[in-house]
Amino acid sequence: MTAAITCEHVSKRFRVPLDRSTTLKYRFTHLRSSSRYHDFHALDDVSFEVPEGQFIGIVGHNGSGKSTLLKVLSRIYVPDSGEVGINGQVSPFLELGVGFNPELTARENIYLNGAVLGLTHAQLDERIDGIIAFAELENFVDQKLKNYSSGMQVRLAFSVAIQADAQILLMDEVLAVGDQRFQEKCFDTFGHYKREGKTVVLVTHDLSAVNLYCDRALMLDHGRLVADGTPREVTGAYKRRMGAASEAEGGATTGVAAAGDRWGSREVEVRDVRLLSDTGETHRVFSAEEPMTIEVDWVVNSDTVQDFLLALRFDRTDGLSPLAYPSTLLTQTMRGTAQRGMAGTLRYRVERWPFLGGSYLMAVEIFDEHRQNVYDQVDKAVGFRVIDEKTRFGLVELGGEWQSELPG
Amino acid sequence: MATSAESSRITRDAGVASSPNGIGVLRRHANLTRELAVSQFKLKYTGSVLGYVWSLFKPMMMFGILYVIFDKLFKIGKGTENFVLQLLVAIVLWTFFQEATSAAMNSIASNGNMIRKAYFPRAILVVAATLTSLITFLINMALIVLIAAPMGKLDLGWRSLLAPLFLLELYALVLGISLLLSALFVFYRDMGHIWEICMQLLIYGSAVMFPLTLLDNHPTMKIAILANPMAQIIEDVRHALVTPSYKVPWSASVMGWAYVAPLALTAVLVLVGLIVFRRLTPRFAEYL
Repeated sequence: MTAAITCEHVSKRFRVPLDRSTTLKYRFTHLRSSSRYHDFHALDDVSFEVPEGQFIGIVGHNGSGKSTLLKVLSRIYVPDSGEVGINGQVSPFLELGVGFNPELTARENIYLNGAVLGLTHAQLDERIDGIIAFAELENFVDQKLKNYSSGMQVRLAFSVAIQADAQILLMDEVLAVGDQRFQEKCFDTFGHYKREGKTVVLVTHDLSAVNLYCDRALMLDHGRLVADGTPREVTGAYKRRMGAASEAEGGATTGVAAAGDRWGSREVEVRDVRLLSDTGETHRVFSAEEPMTIEVDWVVNSDTVQDFLLALRFDRTDGLSPLAYPSTLLTQTMRGTAQRGMAGTLRYRVERWPFLGGSYLMAVEIFDEHRQNVYDQVDKAVGFRVIDEKTRFGLVELGGEWQSELPG
Repeated sequence: MATSAESSRITRDAGVASSPNGIGVLRRHANLTRELAVSQFKLKYTGSVLGYVWSLFKPMMMFGILYVIFDKLFKIGKGTENFVLQLLVAIVLWTFFQEATSAAMNSIASNGNMIRKAYFPRAILVVAATLTSLITFLINMALIVLIAAPMGKLDLGWRSLLAPLFLLELYALVLGISLLLSALFVFYRDMGHIWEICMQLLIYGSAVMFPLTLLDNHPTMKIAILANPMAQIIEDVRHALVTPSYKVPWSASVMGWAYVAPLALTAVLVLVGLIVFRRLTPRFAEYL
């Protein structure tokens, strides 16, 4: 199998000037300081090869160099060093509707945008009816684009875009636009591309799309290629990395919330809360299939406490509470022995997160055995995200079955 | 697959060295150029009631003013055969030069979105911008010939067949300057003002509003002005279409070997424009 794309040691550096000189006056008056800039390595020695017909996804955090890589592949940027080889005709667009002009009619824009895609006037003459029908805009063809709703514009752009005859398609976050129904159309088209054996490079944040459509995935981090493998491996690695990053941003992965969200007599106190993956690392991002272990460190600050009840309350960030409320009574091991300074750890293991992907909060509550006295209630002890493979609406997957009967 | 296979290597040193199936690529690029030019032409006149009439009105207005001032008041055209038509032809030529270069200067900077999101040879934008003005110019030129010739105001002959050659030279000049200006304008917005000032000087330096015979007593100045390609082109087109005051096919042959100067200058401008544009092209997408 021949390689459609080869990328050998490609590096791209941007010089970010501390002051940008767009006037000659500035150039003349700042002769000395014109060299003040700092280097930003958007791509750092990236090498890979894409065989013909492969559907490859590129993931990475914002600023990881994904889009720069796509621009280098599409010749919009010239690499500083290294070499890119392209074997086949590349669709020259990264986004929908490049060249669209709001003052022109839809029909005129089809010819203009089509020309950017490399289609000739004659080819477009043949296809224009199909394009308009696909976009469902038959009644509006001769209206100016500025009178279109954004949804109509996207539909039009997409209908033209899929006419591109290229063998290699480069797409940057195409999925980020449009409503649910339109996204389904996108997905159908991706399936179509796959069957036709086209080479597709898809840059996206939508991990489920990567898992669903890609044969392979790459991950970039600060301009470096850090993972190259099956979509499942790479998206898994990406989730872990994203988790680690948001943990770094959000401060500690452990520890309990600030005073505002906490109250109680503190006769028994929550010392620390941790969310652990099966590897034993602390995380705040989990996939739905991944087991999650919650660890709560507690300490007794009183001589009189006998038994106590520890509860975990799971809430949704939009306020739906409680989603789940497991609790345990620490009595067997504790009876009569609780003393000031006694400490321990409780573990709670969830095999599979039963709710759909999203952001959740967990509270930790400690009461006496009759739930009369609150010893310690930490309302937002820890927040975490669950990433589901598919984006769906609702709270849970019902798992029901559809049946249909046709009359007669 | 209906489309042609093509392959390319993208490296820093080679720029983009593609070894494509040339015809197909060229056709696609020509098609894009045409679509851009046509839509710009449409855009220029949509929303205005008089539409294309404005493109006629503007040079006619300028012609009217200059005619009154220079021909009637200062009587500059006195002694020059058919000065009125000389003035008209010169104004139409000049308007094209001015409009095309000004529009083209903006063509890269104002299309940042396309440049950042799609790949195509960037010069297409510049060419398309000049084509829009070229369409207007050719229509105006045709109107002059079609209206003035039956009225006997033009003096057409075999030498008139050379006019298209001079127009070709004019277009080459416009293209060279446009490439240079459009590339520089991306990085230095001062170019807009600089070029405006240059135009104000050039309109005098190109003998638009007066016949070159006015300078017969100042041979040095005449030669200096004729070194300017615009002056040479205007003078030659006047000679080809309006006033065959010399017996040779082109008017400026009176200058002898110095006739090489404007031609060489045009060639140099085209070359410099191409080189500068090519050098700066890789930075457009990053800078815009």
